[in-house]
Amino acid sequence: MSEPAALAVEPAALAVEELVAGYGGVLALRSVSISARPATITAVLGANGAGKTTLLRAISGVVRPRAGRVLVGGQDVTGHRPEDVARGGVAHVPEGQGVIAELTVAENLRLGALWRRGRTTRAEALAEAYQRFPALAGARRRAAATLSGGERQMLVIARALMARPRVLLLDEPSLGLAPKIVSQVMELTAQLRATGLTVLLVEQNARSALSIADQGIVLNLGKVVAAADAAALAADVGLRKHYLGF
Amino acid sequence: MTLLRHLAAAAVLALLIVILSIKLSAFRDYQIAEIGCYVAAVAGLTMLVGLSGQISLGHGAFMAIGAYATGLMLLHLHWPLEVVLAASALAAALSGAVVGVAAARLRGPYLAGATLMLAVALPTLAIRYAGLFGGDQGLSVTINTPGFLGPTFPLTRWQAWLTCGCALITLVVLANLARSRVGRSWRATGDDEVAAALAGLNVARLRVLAFVVSAACAGLAGALLAVTTSIISPGAFTLTLSIALLTGAVLGGLGTLAGAVWGSLVLVLVPTYVTDVAASHGLSSSAGSNIPVAAYGVVLVVVMLVFPDGIQGAVRRFRQLASRVLTLRGTPRGRAPASEHQEEGST
Amino acid sequence: MAELGELTLGGISVGMIYAAIGLSLVLIWRATRILNYAQGGMAMLTTYIALTVVSRTGSYWAGFAVALMAGLVLGGVIERTVIRPAENKPPLNAIIVTIGLLIFLEGLAGIIYGGQFRSFPAAFSITGLHIGSAALGISANDVFVAGAVLAAAALLAAGFRYTSAGLRLRAAAFSPPVARLLGVRVGRMLTLGWALAGLIGALAGVLVSPSTFLYPNSMDSVFVLGFTAAVIGGLDSPGGAVAGGLILGVALNYVGGYLGSDLVPLFGLAALAVVLMIRPSGLFSPAPARQV
Repeated sequence: MSEPAALAVEPAALAVEELVAGYGGVLALRSVSISARPATITAVLGANGAGKTTLLRAISGVVRPRAGRVLVGGQDVTGHRPEDVARGGVAHVPEGQGVIAELTVAENLRLGALWRRGRTTRAEALAEAYQRFPALAGARRRAAATLSGGERQMLVIARALMARPRVLLLDEPSLGLAPKIVSQVMELTAQLRATGLTVLLVEQNARSALSIADQGIVLNLGKVVAAADAAALAADVGLRKHYLGF
Repeated sequence: MTLLRHLAAAAVLALLIVILSIKLSAFRDYQIAEIGCYVAAVAGLTMLVGLSGQISLGHGAFMAIGAYATGLMLLHLHWPLEVVLAASALAAALSGAVVGVAAARLRGPYLAGATLMLAVALPTLAIRYAGLFGGDQGLSVTINTPGFLGPTFPLTRWQAWLTCGCALITLVVLANLARSRVGRSWRATGDDEVAAALAGLNVARLRVLAFVVSAACAGLAGALLAVTTSIISPGAFTLTLSIALLTGAVLGGLGTLAGAVWGSLVLVLVPTYVTDVAASHGLSSSAGSNIPVAAYGVVLVVVMLVFPDGIQGAVRRFRQLASRVLTLRGTPRGRAPASEHQEEGST
Repeated sequence: MAELGELTLGGISVGMIYAAIGLSLVLIWRATRILNYAQGGMAMLTTYIALTVVSRTGSYWAGFAVALMAGLVLGGVIERTVIRPAENKPPLNAIIVTIGLLIFLEGLAGIIYGGQFRSFPAAFSITGLHIGSAALGISANDVFVAGAVLAAAALLAAGFRYTSAGLRLRAAAFSPPVARLLGVRVGRMLTLGWALAGLIGALAGVLVSPSTFLYPNSMDSVFVLGFTAAVIGGLDSPGGAVAGGLILGVALNYVGGYLGSDLVPLFGLAALAVVLMIRPSGLFSPAPARQV
């Protein structure tokens, strides 16, 4: 719903309005709306098949929405091609990581920032990445295929950050990772918020996600069944049992 | 019963061909005969590629085997024609088994490469062993119209009847095969090999069988081509022929027997038509002989981009559209939108 | 003994041509998963263009340069117009499209230039080289052919390794969806891949035409052997295509020299059959995982 007063003040970092999207004859999202302010983490929760991944794909342009709008910093990017949405400041880290296994760690990282002008900004971004992720610095010449699951997750997040995005879409970063690594990833995500990044975090592990999130929405069969502060969601025992599994 | 339906369709087509062959000129009869040869070859190929999912750029080689077998048998053994034709198909079938076994592990472009080399290399055998195969000049064979048709029966009409009759028999056999368990198994291996193997199908054996059947069809076609053109030489079985067969199969609609017919019609009629048009406009000889070539290339590209399912696919879509219009049944989009079931995996 | 040396060196020289065609096919295959059956036809057309330039200006090198540029442009244009729509259709459609393209190019060449065999100049002398009084069995031109292809392959490899465009190209070829999410304009990279393949094909055309003469179908057999070289080496391996070309060139030259030139196609088939039976995806490709 439109709130003209709020829009006049500052556009949401990321806004999704009544998005409808699907695959072939099946709709995975039926009129989903979200709004996220800058420097916040929004957890997107729900069971398998609820539409969470489709939501991220519809935002980043991998899937073309059938109705509704996607606004990044007030700009309409609905249905734009993924490469253009990426250049508009949205970084999407897909589920299953997506390291390019045949390239080295350094090449994967460099790839993240190639479209930015200026070799110095790119070099700076690379240095920053190595500083924040020392494990990657040590592995920089190795083929990405040789990394462990946890290292790969770090790599794709670092790679996504190379472009200095405004919005980060994380799809199931904890999938297949040991609990210790999962908490590292969550901690990292919380740190990123502090740098001004707006994060949309899709997670099956609702408990971890809500522990760092500011707000959350719960999807079921493509519809939003709950949207509230993270604390409120975590406190709602009925909701947790029914949709979130804890 | 499907067999009866197929036989009935074949009978109708046979009647049509008989009528046409009587009404049209000798040259057209010759074209009908050519079309019949191509239909036999393309039908086998479209089964191989469309159902069992194996590409072959070398089926011209199997036609060559059938043709040369026919030539050698007619020249040296004096067997009756029907026996010769069957034996030639068998010879090609055996080669198909050899190639099929050798190629059983190959997929996609690697299979294409291997069959391509087969198409290029096999005809050179005829030159290498010129004593037996007649070298570049090749072998020449003649057949006569059978006695019971009378002394004034035109040869070209007999050739048209012979080749189209064999083509129709081939089509009926293939149609039944396609609907049988074998055909369904082929489709399964072509669609998803891993799933088919997991379901217990012997993928390798099915793949070889597909090669054997399609090679037999090509061999028969080659034999028929030999008795139609009366000359069997390596120049008639170049790579171009193999490519033309594949083109016909895809153009007509891969995996469909009707497509084999459409494709063969295009292969035989379009180049002649375009050449005629060029000649009637009085173009110089080099332009005149090359414009049909260039136009043919354009046709291939355009049809593939606009009608990826080939001619039969377009026919089918037209029929669906027509039936919907005729029964006044709602929008073409058919399926109900937004079914309520969940998608597998995370969405 | 001297003959063996001659045959080997001659085989290397002609093998480089196969390597070049094979390399261009691998480039296109890796980028778009399409086998470009028109590769030889494109090379033939650019060689005709080169011939026109050479006869107008009298300069071989002008024609050489124009051929390479024409190859670049032709490859890019073809991808953007004809191939792009076919990229998302079943692979067989792309095969027919490139075959149709080949037929069209050959017809076009016949219309514009006619069907007669034309001679194409060689860059350097084709008389045999000697060390002292011993004949080496190759000419200065043969050395140039081998050197040019090697240089092109090396430049390409370096470009892929060390430039940003090369990184983008590789990313677009290895994983188009991930590359897109990183802002890589995958479509443009595919066009670039085809353009580079066109360039290398044009190089092969110019280098081989002095010995085969130039006519609309002159690149057909070169294409078949280049294709074979790529398959032997493995379609995903550019190095494999080069190695495959060299092995094929030398082996076929031995066959032609010792056993007779009419056995060459059969031997090519046998070699291909043997390689594919041992390793169905080529000698230099990584072995695919067992599926079931």
